[in-house]
Amino acid sequence: MLKVTCRSIVTIWSFCSFFLLLTFQNSFGADIGNCLLCHKYPGLSRVDENGKLRLLYINEAVFNTSMHAKVKCEGCHTDIQKIPHDPAKKVDCLTQCHIVEPSSEQKFSHKDVAEFLQKSVHSPVDADGNPKPFPEDFPDCKKCHDNPLYRPMSFNKMMLPGISETALGRCRVCHKKDDFIYQFYNHVTTRLRRSRNPKNIAESCARCHDDTKLMKRHNLSTKAVYSYGESFHGKAATFLDERIPDCLDCHVNPGESVHQMLSYKNPLSAVSLQNRGRICATAECHPRATPKMAEYQVHAEFNLNQSPVRYYFTVFFIALTGGTLLPLMGIIFLDCLRRLFPNAGLIQRKKKHE
Amino acid sequence: MNKTTIIRIKNGKKYFFRFSVNQRIQHVILATCVVVLVLTGMPLKFHYTFWAQYLYTMFGGIHMAPIIHRMAGVILIILFIYHLLYLIRTIWKGQILPLKQREGLSIVKLIRLLVNQPLIPNLKDLRDIIDLLKYLFFISAERPKGAQFTWKEKFDYWAPFWGIVIIGASGAVMWGKEIATRWLPGEIINFALIAHSDEALLAALFLFIWHWYNVHFSTSVFPMGTAFLTGYLSEELMIEEHYEYYVEVMKREGFEHEILPPHGGGQDSTNMKTKEEVVSASELPRIL
Repeated sequence: MLKVTCRSIVTIWSFCSFFLLLTFQNSFGADIGNCLLCHKYPGLSRVDENGKLRLLYINEAVFNTSMHAKVKCEGCHTDIQKIPHDPAKKVDCLTQCHIVEPSSEQKFSHKDVAEFLQKSVHSPVDADGNPKPFPEDFPDCKKCHDNPLYRPMSFNKMMLPGISETALGRCRVCHKKDDFIYQFYNHVTTRLRRSRNPKNIAESCARCHDDTKLMKRHNLSTKAVYSYGESFHGKAATFLDERIPDCLDCHVNPGESVHQMLSYKNPLSAVSLQNRGRICATAECHPRATPKMAEYQVHAEFNLNQSPVRYYFTVFFIALTGGTLLPLMGIIFLDCLRRLFPNAGLIQRKKKHE
Repeated sequence: MNKTTIIRIKNGKKYFFRFSVNQRIQHVILATCVVVLVLTGMPLKFHYTFWAQYLYTMFGGIHMAPIIHRMAGVILIILFIYHLLYLIRTIWKGQILPLKQREGLSIVKLIRLLVNQPLIPNLKDLRDIIDLLKYLFFISAERPKGAQFTWKEKFDYWAPFWGIVIIGASGAVMWGKEIATRWLPGEIINFALIAHSDEALLAALFLFIWHWYNVHFSTSVFPMGTAFLTGYLSEELMIEEHYEYYVEVMKREGFEHEILPPHGGGQDSTNMKTKEEVVSASELPRIL
């Protein structure tokens, strides 16, 4: 078994080495350890201890436009010291990487985000530090985040997506390295909005919030993302409208991070009863809205317990639709049938017999 | 109206007046708006289906389709208001004023006049429905002898009438939600969405199944009835659908000796003809 594994590794290594010269010109700046030498091959994968297929392929072109493009592989995969390497451990997002945060000139880490998360509704511990029921259900970094791609905004007249050469031209006046200019432009303009569109955000939240069993464990009865999808906001999000509010626009207080999201029961939460009106009436959304508008149930469900009036109102329309169409469709069917025998009829036949 | 207006004879065939130019234009606007509203509204209702994206993209996607939808909605509401004024004016000038001049007006007379309008449902419609069921279940060989407007046409008229009120009002609430919720509770938007969406589905299915069957797909009219374009209905279809009214008009217009018997083997008391003659006179398309 060991022989087979060694032989496989050697084969892969030789195979990779064969293309070394061909790929050298495309080598990625942050890939100092030359990890892509092997990981750039589609199909590079293994079956892990749990029998799960792990795809180890890294698409270089995609990775280069991602937010972690400038972080070298060893920055996150700290346990990998040699090539070929043993199975890598899970990445700890709180690791200090080689990136220097420019405003503080400190080595960068996501520790601050973890602290935000600890105080949010998604923390596995309560305010006193005691574990909440089913702490394993609460999301860690990688539950919501992968390695998002840059979505640079263009500031060129029609706001086309992508890099604006006009804007880059202004950068080049002072900054000489194109690599730096592109990186900086991508980073800043991506951060001017969310890195994902509203549909993706909703899908991300849905991983847990549309999981009926998981929601039941935490006494959350609603299918939140499904009901959002049935609202106009959600439907517009389905059609890839970027202007429409997603989950985070309403559930996160303006100026705060998504990692600081609080329970709707918390009076400080953006969606607490007393704050909802303010969220709806923000300048970007419904500036003329009164607090009454916030009584609109975004997460409305066809559920007798949630709102009997709304439930029976829906039932009325279902009954009206069925009650109107079914008899009429029956008549159409019978009419089609009748047209095959237009002159047939029991009464007429009786008369003829008489 | 003169005789040629009510019964037009062309190439030896009689055509019966049904709709004025004004009414036909109203119908074309209504039909166009409804089709546009359905095409731009249904992708939202069925946003999770594969076709919704394609259909919505045809109308400019999420940035343009809602604008087109609202424009069509506004045109439809303007048409509805115009139709109400048209109705009031027609009844006032054509019926109420002459009645007033003839015998004076009272509330009872006014109510009676309104209730007896040809498009108001009445007991005759109930009898016609029963007769139709007898015909459809092969109990009788005779189709119901419809009046000027049959129960089907009244249904076709009142369904959009009710639909425009419900869909228009709920659409207005959703469009002007900030204004509506100054006076109404915010949950009204939830009710508006349910009413708008469900009533629209009912209206669309009703029109595209029931109405289109009766005016397009039925073997009597396939591929298309032309009354909504020409304003006139052929004698065959008048006999099939509006026999009572047909006899009345023929007598009124001096054609009592040319009245044809009803379809389906029944006999009319005013004019006896052999079955062969009836068949040769009728050009009603039959599949058998």
